[in-house]
Amino acid sequence: MVKWGIAHVYASYNNVLITITDVTGSETIAKATGGMVVRQDKDQASPYAAMEAAKKAIDEAKEKGITNLHVKVRAPGGSKSHSPGPGSQAAIRAFARAGVRIGTIEDVTPIPHDTTRPKGGRRGRRV
Amino acid sequence: MAKRKTRRTARRVKDKWKSKRWYRIIAPDMFEGAVVGETPASSPELLLDRVSEITLQDLVGDFSKVHIKVMLKVNGVRGGECITRYVGHDMTTDYIRRLTRRRRSKVDAVIDVQTKEGYVVRVKVLSVTDKRVNTSIKNSIRLRQEEIIKKEAKKSTLSTLVQKLLFGKLATDVKKACKDIYPLKRVEIRKSEVLLVPSDEDVEFKIVTDKELESEKEEEPSEEASEEPEVEKPKKKKELTKTEVLEMFQEIEGVGPTMAEKLYDGGYKSIKQLEKASKEDLLEVEGVGPSFSERIYEALHPDG
Repeated sequence: MVKWGIAHVYASYNNVLITITDVTGSETIAKATGGMVVRQDKDQASPYAAMEAAKKAIDEAKEKGITNLHVKVRAPGGSKSHSPGPGSQAAIRAFARAGVRIGTIEDVTPIPHDTTRPKGGRRGRRV
Repeated sequence: MAKRKTRRTARRVKDKWKSKRWYRIIAPDMFEGAVVGETPASSPELLLDRVSEITLQDLVGDFSKVHIKVMLKVNGVRGGECITRYVGHDMTTDYIRRLTRRRRSKVDAVIDVQTKEGYVVRVKVLSVTDKRVNTSIKNSIRLRQEEIIKKEAKKSTLSTLVQKLLFGKLATDVKKACKDIYPLKRVEIRKSEVLLVPSDEDVEFKIVTDKELESEKEEEPSEEASEEPEVEKPKKKKELTKTEVLEMFQEIEGVGPTMAEKLYDGGYKSIKQLEKASKEDLLEVEGVGPSFSERIYEALHPDG
């Protein structure tokens, strides 16, 4: 029988976190982050880091018998960015190339109906 | 330092992993006991209250139901199988967002209903009107929705209510009934949650181990014997039909329906055979050019 897993991809502008769990989400099968595969902090969110991290996670998951994946992508959400960072696309692509079957790809960014005040103050971030 | 630490934890996790067993999650009777998936656990008590989410498409095989997610919660274990109950459904955010447009009004309603057996279910309805409407119309639509859904829920059991929620019966009812107030473009039951399980329906979390199951079977061998763990072994080598193979081929990056057919006609009957083939072998197939053979080859051998 085919074993399904869920790949949770949390792609912010600072990092990519990949966690592969079972279908209930209560058992973690593998995890990897962008920071684990690159040296420089600024590269953590890059597509390359996402790809490597995805490969790393998927190798471990495959070893444990996962053959099919549902993908759940999320951005920081809440009062922060609602669009996933640069790593999300690369991670999904890496999953597909690693030879697992992909089921649904879903955006699960938490979007509030109201929200707390975004950080940065009235005049925004001044750089 | 840090490196050593991570290595040590990695080793520990692996050991734990070996002690885990995979349990199959079985959908409740209202979905004809379909297999939802598998979940590992080191002991069956830990399975309690795990919620698995599955699209209705996977559950009933209807392609038009991809956007509906059904939530099933584990409330019992029988041997290697988890028994679940329905706890609610949800729709994917992209589907909901597609419905809401400019110059149209959205009427959201949250309705708590009670079924015949006493289940309390929270139903969230979303309807979209044809044009932008004022609040008084919205309010009357909301009231009408509530009336209809409460009436319908009262005369149905949980399983029939769920059928109506998921397969659009209630939504069409609401759409029809609200027509004379204002034409509705779309009506969807956006979400449902089971809030209260009546005490006589509420089964305690029960674990039936393999041994108990076997002794049970010996007592009444005719009824259940064929059903239980024997199913676990899938047929090893099943002859794949042409359409199945074609579908598999199309999952390779860059292979469309026509190419899949060409490969099949060229003598490749499974992914494995394709993987064994070299670039030159692939070129032999009629209709496959050098650039295409290279592409397939690379898609199949991502490691180089």
